[in-house]
Amino acid sequence: MNLPLLLLFGFAVLLMLLLAWVLRDPREFAQPDVDLGYAEDLDRRHVTYFPQVRQAMAAEDSAFLASRASQALTHRVRRERRKIALAYLACLRGDFLKLWRLARVIASMAPQLGAAQELERLQLGLAFSWRYEMIRMKFFLGFAPLPELGSLSKVVSRLSIRLETAMKDLGERAALAAKLASSMDGRGLDTP
Amino acid sequence: MPLYILVLWACSALLQLITLILLFANGSFRKLPFFTMYVALNLCQVAFLVFVYSTWGSESEKGRALAWYSECVTLLAQALATTEILKVTLRPYQGIWGLAWRALAFTSALVVLIVALATYGDWGVAGWFELNRGYHLTFAAAVIACLLLFRYYSVQVPDAYKRILGGFCLYSCTEILIHTVLQSLGKKWFDAYQPIWQSSTMLSFIVVLSIWVAALWKPLPIEAQQAAPPSDSIDPSDSVYQRLSPEINERLRELNEKLLRLWKLEARPQ
Repeated sequence: MNLPLLLLFGFAVLLMLLLAWVLRDPREFAQPDVDLGYAEDLDRRHVTYFPQVRQAMAAEDSAFLASRASQALTHRVRRERRKIALAYLACLRGDFLKLWRLARVIASMAPQLGAAQELERLQLGLAFSWRYEMIRMKFFLGFAPLPELGSLSKVVSRLSIRLETAMKDLGERAALAAKLASSMDGRGLDTP
Repeated sequence: MPLYILVLWACSALLQLITLILLFANGSFRKLPFFTMYVALNLCQVAFLVFVYSTWGSESEKGRALAWYSECVTLLAQALATTEILKVTLRPYQGIWGLAWRALAFTSALVVLIVALATYGDWGVAGWFELNRGYHLTFAAAVIACLLLFRYYSVQVPDAYKRILGGFCLYSCTEILIHTVLQSLGKKWFDAYQPIWQSSTMLSFIVVLSIWVAALWKPLPIEAQQAAPPSDSIDPSDSVYQRLSPEINERLRELNEKLLRLWKLEARPQ
């Protein structure tokens, strides 16, 4: 089998695999149980904990601890604080993914989608994933990449603000539509 | 022609007939006229090929050329039927449809270019086979690109449409694989492998037809659209309201459902 035929064969197999993946029902893999307590927790953005994480990972803090406590205790505290920072990073990613999905849902309802905007969003997702992995790697290697972590937190914050504005706009438009409808002949808008 | 090919042919024709009957019995032909036309054309093609092969023989140059011309017609109908299903699915999502047709055009152009480069210089040997494979490659890539877009935007595709689109794609992918494997065995042996090619192609089409029969067993989902009252019974401002109100309601309901679904997905314990 020569190279073009091999490429065609590979492409066909890839298409079949993609088809199987794309036709799979996403609900099959979603867990149906909904924990309301946890759901309420989702309202709280993890990005608000960045000042505490920054304080915990600050070099001055570590130096102060090293001057007062034993080496074993210093190591233990550093290890635990790194774990906390990694947990914060994972939650930040969770926040981002949630906002990113929400943005896609809002975009899907728009009467017109700009290819450039959509590409920009895709690019944002990829850039976030790349930066997330780099920061995680740095944490595992024992560094404390606080400026990078700060800028990643800012990305999540900005996205959150942009989405909140979009949701507010949507709500205002819906309210306006309802107001317009109710002013006509006393017919109310039968919203669900 | 070997007996097993005739049997496969008969099975395929029977399943096509069942599909057509189901389309008319469920009233689905009104919703998918191009898909109905595609199935009907396929059935006509069977009759046409029986006539061609019995008159000129399956090995003759003229018989083969006529068979391939008829294939071109059904492939065109296949493209129309698929576009119709994509359009019906994306009707409430005008923004995504605008992006989807651009994605379709881009993917198709890219794949056509790749196919042209990959098969450059081989046209004299098995031109029809190359054209057929090129079409299926372009078709499958474009439809999968659209399905990926659906998934990206969490667009809910009704199960029946998903199966029809999946069937089309599956058929195209198996066609590409069969052509490539046979071609890798040597171009000069194309004639020798004709029965294998025919039987494997027909077998994959029978599988696809079975999927479609299962998909069309129940009537296609009804779109949530409210009928507007006669236009002469209401004043212009009312008509705008009558037209816009269900649309706004539908949009809000849909957005609400989507956000709830997303919420449930996010709320699961990690």
